[in-house]
Amino acid sequence: MSDNSTNTEKLIQYMDDELDGDARGAIEQQIATDASLASELESLRLTKAAVNTYGMKQKIASLHTEMMNELKKRPAAKVISMKTILTYTMRIAAVLILLLGVSLLYQYYNATPDQLYKSNFESFQLRETRSISTASVLEALYKKGDANAVMNAFKSIPQPLAEDYFLEANAALKLDKPAEAIQSLLALQELNKRDNTHLYEEDADYYLAMAYMHDNQPSKALPLFEKIHNDEGHPYNKKVGTWFLRKVKRLAK
Amino acid sequence: MEPSRIFSENALLQLLRSDAPPDEAIKYLYRTQFGITKAYIIQNAGTEEDAEDIFQEVLLTFIELIKNNKFRGESSVSTFLYAITRNTWLNELKKRGRSKLREEKFEKTKVTTEMDVSHYIANREIKAQLMKVVDELGDTCKKILLAFYFDNLAMKEILQNLQYENEQVVRNKKYKCLKQLEQLMTQQPQLAANLKSVLLYE
Repeated sequence: MSDNSTNTEKLIQYMDDELDGDARGAIEQQIATDASLASELESLRLTKAAVNTYGMKQKIASLHTEMMNELKKRPAAKVISMKTILTYTMRIAAVLILLLGVSLLYQYYNATPDQLYKSNFESFQLRETRSISTASVLEALYKKGDANAVMNAFKSIPQPLAEDYFLEANAALKLDKPAEAIQSLLALQELNKRDNTHLYEEDADYYLAMAYMHDNQPSKALPLFEKIHNDEGHPYNKKVGTWFLRKVKRLAK
Repeated sequence: MEPSRIFSENALLQLLRSDAPPDEAIKYLYRTQFGITKAYIIQNAGTEEDAEDIFQEVLLTFIELIKNNKFRGESSVSTFLYAITRNTWLNELKKRGRSKLREEKFEKTKVTTEMDVSHYIANREIKAQLMKVVDELGDTCKKILLAFYFDNLAMKEILQNLQYENEQVVRNKKYKCLKQLEQLMTQQPQLAANLKSVLLYE
């Protein structure tokens, strides 16, 4: 074996970590002082790296088919990108906004005074300020929820008070008799005017307006609703929102 | 059928850095990453076949970068693989002459990954040329060199597998095969000039 091939063999053994002790020290010294040996060692290391790259490539290729078979057996998991999710979300949101808009427009153009009344009416609730024994007959009957009895009892009162008119009007509304409710609420307003009192005044504003709606007279309801809407301190202000008022205005035209 | 092994990032990197067989790590990467690569390639003007080819190449680059200590966990494995995939696919589209379309999309998605691994992505053609050179070796030479260097088998095991007379004969054969491959590699100037960047990512 020539010197060259001896050196190459030693370099390979050194590269493969097969030398120890003196032999290792000796070749390291030679590499440090001989540029051609250092260059050959580098070349051998690159050759070894090429073998490893080739081996890894083959390894991956051999596992590839196996893994493709395994992955194809799995239920297909659809990968959806954020962009796609965002696009679909925006589309759904746009459709919902459109549907909402169409629904609001439909409601706006197709609402009748009576529909508006029915979807917003809540009967008046008497507060528990007096015991049954001290409450008026009408009040006691109203608390019981007997609207017919309230209306009958009202007829027997020779000089009704403001509260009597108001309770009778609410009983009439419960019984879908808006004309009678209007009559009582107007009488209540007249009474307050005559006596310079303000009993059930703000309640009467709202329930009179609602009675007009129920009686298909939105043009008479409108000024009352506008008054309530424009007065932030009015106890029924929150019940008369902008959208509600617009619908009443359209119906009043 | 054996249950699929699940790796923590550290365990995965440790296995790939070691001389132990990488099979389980590769399978794990297929199970967890191939779907992402496939979706990316298909969304960017590629086919399922492209995805399979690119993924094999990405895995090879990824494993070699780990073995050469070029990845020290600065990002997650998934982010790193994604960056390699994007660069490899961009190179491929450039080669196919569809770079304009690709670059536009690439720029748009650049913000999602800050890692720049473009300098690690070796020229595919040079690497393919190198693999062809190794293929030129006879089967016996390839078997001996792969058994010794890639599979880390001891001479005794190689002797049993290849049925030579004795260890010294195998050792001599290995010496000759290695020198033969070295000569084949250095004979091609373009390959010789790029060996370090292709093999050691330097």
